[in-house]
Amino acid sequence: MRNLASLLFAAGLGFLLMVFGLQFDFGNAPMLVGQAIQSAAPDQVGAANIVTSVVLGYRGIDTLGELAILFAASTAVGLILGNRHTSTKQDPDSGVILRAGGELLMPLLLVVGLYIILHGHLTPGGGFQGGVILAAAFFIPVLARPSTHLKHTGMSLIEGFSGAAFILIGLAALYSGGEFLQPLLDKGVIGNLLSAGTLPLLYLAVGLKVGAELAGLLAHLAAAETSES
Amino acid sequence: MNQIVLIVVLPLLAAFLVPIVARMSETLGAALGPLVMGVCLWITGTVAIESAGNAFAINIGGFLPPLGITFFVDRLALLFAFLTALLVLLLWPFQGEHRPREHALTLILAAASGGLALSGDLFNIYVFYELVSVASFGLVATGNRSAAPAVRYLILSGFGSVLALVGIALVYTQTGTLNLAHLSQLAPTQLINPIGLAAFALILLGVGVKAELFPVNTWVPEVYATAPNRVSALLAGLVSKLAALVILRLLVLVFAQEQALLVMLLLGLLGVITGELAAWRAQDMNRMLAYSSIGQLGMVFVAFSIPGETGVFAGLAIALHHLVVKPALFLLAARWGGALSGLAGAARGSLSGALLFTLFALSLVGVPPLPGFWAKLLLVMGLAEQVGPLYHFALAGILIATVVEANYLFRIVATLFRRDNPASPAPEKHSGSDIATAGIFGAGLIAAVLLLIPLSQSLKTIAQQTSDADAYRAVVTLVPTPTAPNWRPAAISGDTP
Amino acid sequence: MNLPSLDVSLDLILYTGAFGLIVIGAAGIVLARHLFRVILALAIAEAGANLLLVLSGYRWDAIAPILMGSESTAPMVDPVPQAMVLTAIVIGVGVQALAVGLAMQVKKTYGTLDMSAIRQRLEADIAGNAGIATTGSQDAPLGERPLPPVDAVPATPGSSTP
Repeated sequence: MRNLASLLFAAGLGFLLMVFGLQFDFGNAPMLVGQAIQSAAPDQVGAANIVTSVVLGYRGIDTLGELAILFAASTAVGLILGNRHTSTKQDPDSGVILRAGGELLMPLLLVVGLYIILHGHLTPGGGFQGGVILAAAFFIPVLARPSTHLKHTGMSLIEGFSGAAFILIGLAALYSGGEFLQPLLDKGVIGNLLSAGTLPLLYLAVGLKVGAELAGLLAHLAAAETSES
Repeated sequence: MNQIVLIVVLPLLAAFLVPIVARMSETLGAALGPLVMGVCLWITGTVAIESAGNAFAINIGGFLPPLGITFFVDRLALLFAFLTALLVLLLWPFQGEHRPREHALTLILAAASGGLALSGDLFNIYVFYELVSVASFGLVATGNRSAAPAVRYLILSGFGSVLALVGIALVYTQTGTLNLAHLSQLAPTQLINPIGLAAFALILLGVGVKAELFPVNTWVPEVYATAPNRVSALLAGLVSKLAALVILRLLVLVFAQEQALLVMLLLGLLGVITGELAAWRAQDMNRMLAYSSIGQLGMVFVAFSIPGETGVFAGLAIALHHLVVKPALFLLAARWGGALSGLAGAARGSLSGALLFTLFALSLVGVPPLPGFWAKLLLVMGLAEQVGPLYHFALAGILIATVVEANYLFRIVATLFRRDNPASPAPEKHSGSDIATAGIFGAGLIAAVLLLIPLSQSLKTIAQQTSDADAYRAVVTLVPTPTAPNWRPAAISGDTP
Repeated sequence: MNLPSLDVSLDLILYTGAFGLIVIGAAGIVLARHLFRVILALAIAEAGANLLLVLSGYRWDAIAPILMGSESTAPMVDPVPQAMVLTAIVIGVGVQALAVGLAMQVKKTYGTLDMSAIRQRLEADIAGNAGIATTGSQDAPLGERPLPPVDAVPATPGSSTP
């Protein structure tokens, strides 16, 4: 009975959304702000990747909020699951292939992650994408050897300081007479590695923070799992 | 005046650094949070004095709207920014074992609440709303056995966010902008239609999760019954009001159409009736307060559905009254959380607690001359002025709900002061800090009675400023955007339905 | 490129897909009995919303909004929805990670991840903490009365039999 009601509810919601969906002309979304940003971004921000200009320039405070969400999630998971360092040395033998593969992959992933972070203002990619790869680089050894633990101290230091760096760069702009998160420094030549002012620095902070945050989250979840089994 | 952005940024900075500072020095770590909240209070105060009540806008990053994100600062925004800092400071989790992490989450909650009060960009509001959500899930889960309610809350809230995101996507597809002032400019031609209404309904349901709106409030009783009482106080007192504030802004600026008001009226009225009836039936203090909070928030929504300044005035009065009363009641319930029948004669153990409870209950019901009476009077008079059977039906519903409310609250007050069975063990005494904080709220309530006329006048000015969409548009100077809304080549556009 | 009808149908497929994902997610949240599946359903619904958002700025004939060395005059897609989706995805990751963490804690407290069992335990738990008789039978038939709390909370006399 309950299932039937739920099914009806879902079907009704689906029908409603479909009716809305088919009501209007999808292909014709106006592009007011998007077009204005496309023409203004090269001068105002100076990044070759306009999405980066939006993420760190025009909507920079969204990005700060997003970093804070990741931080809040990882803090909350830490709060719930606690710092349980189980010293049970029940390392299931993960095999030589996994371990060797993990050791090989780690430096590779580190380089790729940093490359993607540092080229975020030029090519597709950036702090979030690169940060996820960094997190994977640190987490793969944990997967290959379940008994090892990530150093929470180091992680939380990177977490805190990179987040603080993002905010401090923004505050520096505020106290040099501009607005919070106003782009500073010389914009340089569009397309060069050293261009777009403070954007690469911001993306580096974002990348490190996302990497540390996600690695910390995964480590918490993994540690809680091993302590349960 | 652009230092107002600090009330969002400083708590975030402190939250990022609290775990590190606490590792170096425990006392410094514990002091950092309250210190930062004090600074926020001071900043808000100075900005309020500097601006002298005139609204102004701040362009984050120096990008002019609608390209960048704007913070819109008017009396209402400053009032809520101030109340955020004040309430967080009053309800600061001084006790507790997980200190640094709990402090970090509370600071994040404060920062995001400030952001919600100030933000003038639809997607930015969504981000801050999510930030409030995640921080509150974490804080709720600090309770003893509150993981299950927290996860159920998370799923409901997560689905609400999905709906809100769909609503935002609909708005963006229609208008191509996210700035509230710009949206308000474009709304008469592009959003006052069924799609706009659908977008409003989706956003209303999404944001309504936090505002305890009728169909999406199933999390309220179980979360408030299991979460630490200070967290319940923050959620019921502050976060729900901020969500209501967001809905008010959207309603005034973007979705000002009659059907949207009717949707709000219906959902709000259902909230009032179901909330008060469930509270009447509740058998323990925490859940009774939770259901009563649903009822009060429903009244706020009913008030906001009255068009024009009257509705905003009444809604703000009820919201602010509830913001003072409900946290104090949750603090008092910290030790009285058990069955209501177990409270018999609790006044013997803690007379001041019982007296404070009586004061708040009287005001909640609306006994003159307490502020609750005037707030309800505004609502009732506003509803009576409206034509249309639905508004009068709502009026009747609210009066009946008040009777129900009076019944269950006075029942508890009578229980508290009962003398018949002195043999039963008296409930625990309140902790000193709880009573002191509740006393501060009570003093605020009594001060509001004494300063009723100046307070109501300034609230009326706030309502005037808030309900004036033209003034909002005048403050936010928009750079011109390309006028041709569609540049898709004709060869490819085809014949979409 | 020169077949408008094909473009239109592709449009329709993409939008149907986005709404479909949201509906699948909604159905999963309501219907699934296992907490982890509910979390997965939430992730699916989020994916649908993100797809819808990114579609709102897409143009069939446009290129990615990145300025290449050569001055190409091709129109670019709207960068704002792309930035928003990036934000929304990261938010989704945070929320899902927290949900999984909470689910692990639920498993530890209640020993089960079955949604209805969790709800019953929760009802019993709240009632037990408050020291009142469980009234969980409001919407459960006679055979499905709530289970007692795991750590038997001392029940008040009179609450033993509902």
